[in-house]
Amino acid sequence: MTVVLGQDLTKVYSLNGRQVAALRGVSLTIAAGEYLAITGPSGSGKSTLLQLLGGLDSPTGGRLELMGRRVEGLSDDELTDLRLRQVGFIFQRFHLMSVLTARENVELPLAEAGVGRRERSERAAELLAYVGLADRADHRATQLSGGEMQRVAIARALANRPALILADEPTGELDAATGAQILELFDRLHQDGVTLVVVTHDEHLAARVPRRVHLLDGRIDRDELATAR
Amino acid sequence: MTWALVVRSLFRHPVRTALVVAGIAVAAALLLDMVMLSGGMERSFSRMLLSRGFQIRLSPKGTLPFDTEAMIPAITPILDDLRADPDVERVGPVLATSLHVRVGDSLLTLVGYGVDPAGQGLYELEAGADLVPGDSTGLLVSEPAAAAAGWQIGDTIRLQGRLDPQSARAEAERVVTVRGVVRFLYDARGQRSVGADFRVMQRLGRFPDADPASMVMVKVRADDRVDSVAARIARTHRTVEVNSVAALVVQFRSRLVYFQQLSLILATISLVVGVLLVGTILTITVSERIGEFAVLRGIGVRRARVVRLVMAEGAVLTAAGAIGGVILGLATARYLDAILTSFPGLPAAISFFVPERTAIAKAAVAVFVAGVAASGYPAWLAARAPIAETLRADAE
Amino acid sequence: MSSFGVVLLLHGLALAASTAQPLPGIAIERRLADRYRLAVGDTVRLTPAADRPAARYLVEAIYQPKADPATALRGEYQIRFHLPELSRLLGAADRVDRIAVLGRPGIPADSTAFRLNQPAFGYRAYPSERIASESSRTFAVVSRFHRAIGVISIVASAVFLLCIMLLKVEERRLDAAVMRMIGISRATVFRAFVLEATLVAAVGSGLGVGLAAVAGALTNWVYRRRFETSLVFSHLSPDIVAFGVGLSLVLGVAVGALAARRLVTARPLALWRRAG
Ligand SMILES: Nc1ncnc2c1ncn2[C@@H]1O[C@H](COP(=O)(O)OP(=O)(O)OP(=O)(O)O)[C@@H](O)[C@H]1O
Ligand SMILES: [Mg+2]
Repeated sequence: MTVVLGQDLTKVYSLNGRQVAALRGVSLTIAAGEYLAITGPSGSGKSTLLQLLGGLDSPTGGRLELMGRRVEGLSDDELTDLRLRQVGFIFQRFHLMSVLTARENVELPLAEAGVGRRERSERAAELLAYVGLADRADHRATQLSGGEMQRVAIARALANRPALILADEPTGELDAATGAQILELFDRLHQDGVTLVVVTHDEHLAARVPRRVHLLDGRIDRDELATAR
Repeated sequence: MTWALVVRSLFRHPVRTALVVAGIAVAAALLLDMVMLSGGMERSFSRMLLSRGFQIRLSPKGTLPFDTEAMIPAITPILDDLRADPDVERVGPVLATSLHVRVGDSLLTLVGYGVDPAGQGLYELEAGADLVPGDSTGLLVSEPAAAAAGWQIGDTIRLQGRLDPQSARAEAERVVTVRGVVRFLYDARGQRSVGADFRVMQRLGRFPDADPASMVMVKVRADDRVDSVAARIARTHRTVEVNSVAALVVQFRSRLVYFQQLSLILATISLVVGVLLVGTILTITVSERIGEFAVLRGIGVRRARVVRLVMAEGAVLTAAGAIGGVILGLATARYLDAILTSFPGLPAAISFFVPERTAIAKAAVAVFVAGVAASGYPAWLAARAPIAETLRADAE
Repeated sequence: MSSFGVVLLLHGLALAASTAQPLPGIAIERRLADRYRLAVGDTVRLTPAADRPAARYLVEAIYQPKADPATALRGEYQIRFHLPELSRLLGAADRVDRIAVLGRPGIPADSTAFRLNQPAFGYRAYPSERIASESSRTFAVVSRFHRAIGVISIVASAVFLLCIMLLKVEERRLDAAVMRMIGISRATVFRAFVLEATLVAAVGSGLGVGLAAVAGALTNWVYRRRFETSLVFSHLSPDIVAFGVGLSLVLGVAVGALAARRLVTARPLALWRRAG
């Protein structure tokens, strides 16, 4: 099944009347279960592409289908629902709700999706155990280390069993050892069949990912499948 | 979950939240006081006038009841005529005059009321026995009068009336017995008053020839007949001023227009202050946390929910403020009422601030609605923030 | 003087001048003249009640009563009659509401009033001084009330001010973090923020005084028109300005200093984190 189908995507930002073309025609197909890294120099449009794929922003031109559904022309509420149920986001700076506990952060998208209280807490406990944080469930986000916060964010992204997980430099704020733990977690996700797109500067990360898309100046420069690990 | 977010966000800045709640509480207190002030005195005035159900007052032409010391002459035929009216249930003539009594070697001056025990609307019995019709030696005394003269129920007293203008002697004297302690409804605080039979008081005041009354109170059987009865009395008795309580309230209102306006202005100001407080604080808090709202939107929280989150914060702030405001407002109202009721000559039964449930509800709801409405703008700010751009800016 | 209950019926400004008999004269106050466009020499018909016969009077004078807060707000119009004329109109022959008595010099008013009260029949004598003190007591009550309301408003605005100043400084959390991190001393950062708070408080109180002046002028304008009087309703005295400005400056600077202290005593990194 095709999770992402992008054709000739463009994105132009206008900044005080000046036009900045962040994407200049990107075509990309991602099948279910793929693990993909997007690399490229700073300013090449990686984050922009990821935001389009996640329905955080809409393309200026081109055509985008997520899970076989056209994204252009969706209402804000429909896009929001898409983000809630089909996409999980992992950010460089974690972006947890600082006033909530780890468990509550994971429960948040579940509650929004209308999952009942009991099921919600069971699922949150399960996910926290999966990312190895069962014992920190009742700690506030501010009481966790960076690596722990990122693992909570991963649990949150997985909450509604999305078809697609998007991560923008998930190890950018972490030291090498902690980053490695996150990468192991991603490997596990991949083995469990989750579709995963990771934007990264990290050569180690890129090297262990089966498919690598290299952006340059808003265009796909290389799209290569690693033949062997 | 929503509530956890709302409440904990408010506790993130406890000093700030406490200040806002305190500010709203003071504004709400002022609003409540002004709502109570705007309707309170009018209601307490009308309640006082109607406390014994007499809906019409007759006073000397061109005056309001007890406004001057003028009197209605030749009252008996008027009373007979009123009593003959089938719509009239009861008629209560009142004669007010000054009396004297010796206490030790000093002369105590009292206000003496002559009443008809069969139809009086002037007092409530507090202790002892009421006058019965025809009791020409009974006396009712107010608490302050009893206290000043040291009277007990059953005491016998020598009352001196006004001095006779011809002889200049106090020949009108009468020995009476204290039957009961009463509260005269229209007395000022601490007023020393006594009540006796109407005819006894006429004689004590040395007015028997003029047959005067200071005022007549009329109780009409059916409330909807009050106006027509008042009009009929006014037509047949040209020498008296006839006012229904409703008409007196209107006159009273025009004298108190100042307080009405003051309360309106201050109520508006306090609402504006409340709105500004909630609006500014939430706007600042929201812009501090705009990244959080963008994240919420990013992980799939709908706009409407974000709006509700922010408005719920406003609602919690204003609800807490409103509750504090009601408590504070009731306390300050008692203090303000104590100030205003010390107006010289004001009947003790009048209050300016009447803590009625509707007034409290009105003020609390007004503050709450204003506060929640004020959180509309910050809520819109939070919901409208462009997700991708805000996250990018927040990460920098 | 009291013409309470007199209902004014206006007869066109017709030419009563032609009638032979001289009409009784009255003096009316300026507001009444303005309201009904009356001039000296006009004829009016007055009646004590709508259903009573009216009598005709000649406006002989228009006068401006002294502004009196006790009566200004009632909105009643005054007409002055010769006493017998008013008695005749009211059908209350030989009745007065009040008599002013001027005692011989040297005799205390109290004793005169006492003597007058001895054979009193239908009247009561009071020394003018007592009446004056009674009515000034009324105003004392009103001004105590105003003061109490004022205190409440001051508390409300003080809380408001505290809130705003607190936020104003907290807003600078990130700046404080950056300044501290690039090595600017605590004292300098603190001084900069307190100075800023002082400036904000000063500009704010300046604007507040301006706003108060405008609001006061507006209040006076509205109420003077509303009650057609020359009374001053809102008076912005230098004392009040000094108090308002002083209070907001003191509160503003105090809160500014407090919040700034909290900012500079925190570790720069903590600030950075909380600002994010
Ligand atoms: N909201 C915006 N307004 C204007 N220009 C923008 C906006 N967002 C991105 N850009 C521009 O679009 C281009 C691509 O940005 P993008 O963030 O996608 O790059 P990136 O590859 O993620 O870079 P980095 O590796 O530094 O994160 C850049 O030139 C950037 O300045
Ligand atoms: Mg990027």
